[in-house]
Amino acid sequence: MRNKTIQSYSDESYPPFPTKGTMFWRRFIPWQAIRFFVLNFRILKIVVGGHS
Amino acid sequence: MSRVVVLGAGIAGHTAAAFLRKKLSKKHEVVVVAPNAYYQWIPSNIWVGVGRMTIDQVRFRLAPLYKRWGIEHHQAKALSIHPEGDAADAQPFVTIEYTTEEKKGINERIRYDYLVNATGPRLNFDATEGLGPGKNTVSVCSYDHATHAWEKLQQSIARMEKGEKQRIVIGTGHPTATCQGAAFEYILNVAFEIRKRKLSHLAEIIWLTNEYELGDFGMGGAYIKRGGYITSTRVFAESFLGENGIKWIKRAGVKKVEPGVIHYETLDGELKQLEFDFSMLIPGFAGAGMKAMDKNGEDITATLFAPSGFMKVDANYTQKPFEEWSASDWPETYQSPAFANIYAPGIAFAPPHPISKPMTSKNGTAIFPSPPRTGMPSGVMGKIVAENIINEIKTGKQTFKHKASMGKMGAACIISAGYGIRKGAAATMTVHPIVPDWDKYPEYGRNIKYTMGEAGLAGHWMKWFMHYMFLHKAKGYPFWWLLPE
Repeated sequence: MRNKTIQSYSDESYPPFPTKGTMFWRRFIPWQAIRFFVLNFRILKIVVGGHS
Repeated sequence: MSRVVVLGAGIAGHTAAAFLRKKLSKKHEVVVVAPNAYYQWIPSNIWVGVGRMTIDQVRFRLAPLYKRWGIEHHQAKALSIHPEGDAADAQPFVTIEYTTEEKKGINERIRYDYLVNATGPRLNFDATEGLGPGKNTVSVCSYDHATHAWEKLQQSIARMEKGEKQRIVIGTGHPTATCQGAAFEYILNVAFEIRKRKLSHLAEIIWLTNEYELGDFGMGGAYIKRGGYITSTRVFAESFLGENGIKWIKRAGVKKVEPGVIHYETLDGELKQLEFDFSMLIPGFAGAGMKAMDKNGEDITATLFAPSGFMKVDANYTQKPFEEWSASDWPETYQSPAFANIYAPGIAFAPPHPISKPMTSKNGTAIFPSPPRTGMPSGVMGKIVAENIINEIKTGKQTFKHKASMGKMGAACIISAGYGIRKGAAATMTVHPIVPDWDKYPEYGRNIKYTMGEAGLAGHWMKWFMHYMFLHKAKGYPFWWLLPE
């Protein structure tokens, strides 16, 4: 009989897993280059605006 | 002429010293007392711990920089604070003990007009039996610990290469330890290194944490915008571990570590054991352990410091239940309420209460994360303390033009894994404010516009960028003062 693994009912089976499409966008350099500038700007705003 | 003494040269202390020296004229003295010869950019220790960086890429010697800047530097640890001086001399002072080979054990008195206590945490390995380097687990809390961690990890990898299975346990090593973010980043990097070597089938990697739910990170978790939903960081953290093949054990307070066995208690009061081959567990933190004396030599440590050893500042320390906590309880100026010329930015200040909800097991063991104060918030605190002291020295008035409360400022946490331009991955999280403000943001506790989580290469590049940017700033290279904290 083939060994089989039943994934459900374990803690690890509940969170969402990225699809191939999600993984593609996470590694697609032109898109990530845009996100790099967006995230930097957002963090800079948080840092500068967080203290007087 | 004023003399400002800074204790500690970590992120808060070094930032404070840098701005004090830049903005005060040379007639004023800036003194730094730090036990370590090096400044270290602690966030990059993770890469040392997986062999991707050498220790010299994350540290540099303080003495040449302070000589160039005109800062009086003592490589020593502070022993006691005497805010009223003593019977013979009313000038406040600290006693220090040198840590250099030439002057080891020699004590000296350092006088001050203003004192910045930025001593950070003492890594309290002793609070958990058998925990820490030299005992049964490793750590990435300092560059030498991270180097040792990499040596031990290589041994585990070598065993896997011979076909031996290995259980790797990473997380928190004390029921109230904090810094989950660093441990989380380390576990993802370890998983990456094992996957890269095609050894994942031989590795069982487990995240062991004192968090009630994953993604708490000592700040009570957060709600973030992600994938068209507003969702909890629990989902974000579990998803990241799940996709990297990492299992987890939550609500666990590590009580003892024996060779190859972790003993922990769960919130349900169960006492359990977990065998391991390699384990990196973050210790509990405590204050530096300085004493304080009045002019008659009477011990006033309890006046200046909380029982944890962290310094009391302008926070609201009134004991109250979780439901009554407020963002306004958190300090804004980091000034000691007992002595107006003493400040404690960074990890050195005593938080008014945790951020995560306190939880106690059936056996009475507190199992929940302490509040994090590392990295960016520490730098900001160091800067505003320096600016307020500078303002007072220049104007003769204590006005506190600069404030930075964790109940108002945001923070970014980048959990990066992997290496290289195309091979990395990262989870980037921003929260605003760090301490949830349920009065101002009744729906989610934080400003949802600036509280987000995102996975992708961009965060990994940012982590790289920040490594070089913050070392550039710390080394005092051109235009360092223009770079944000």
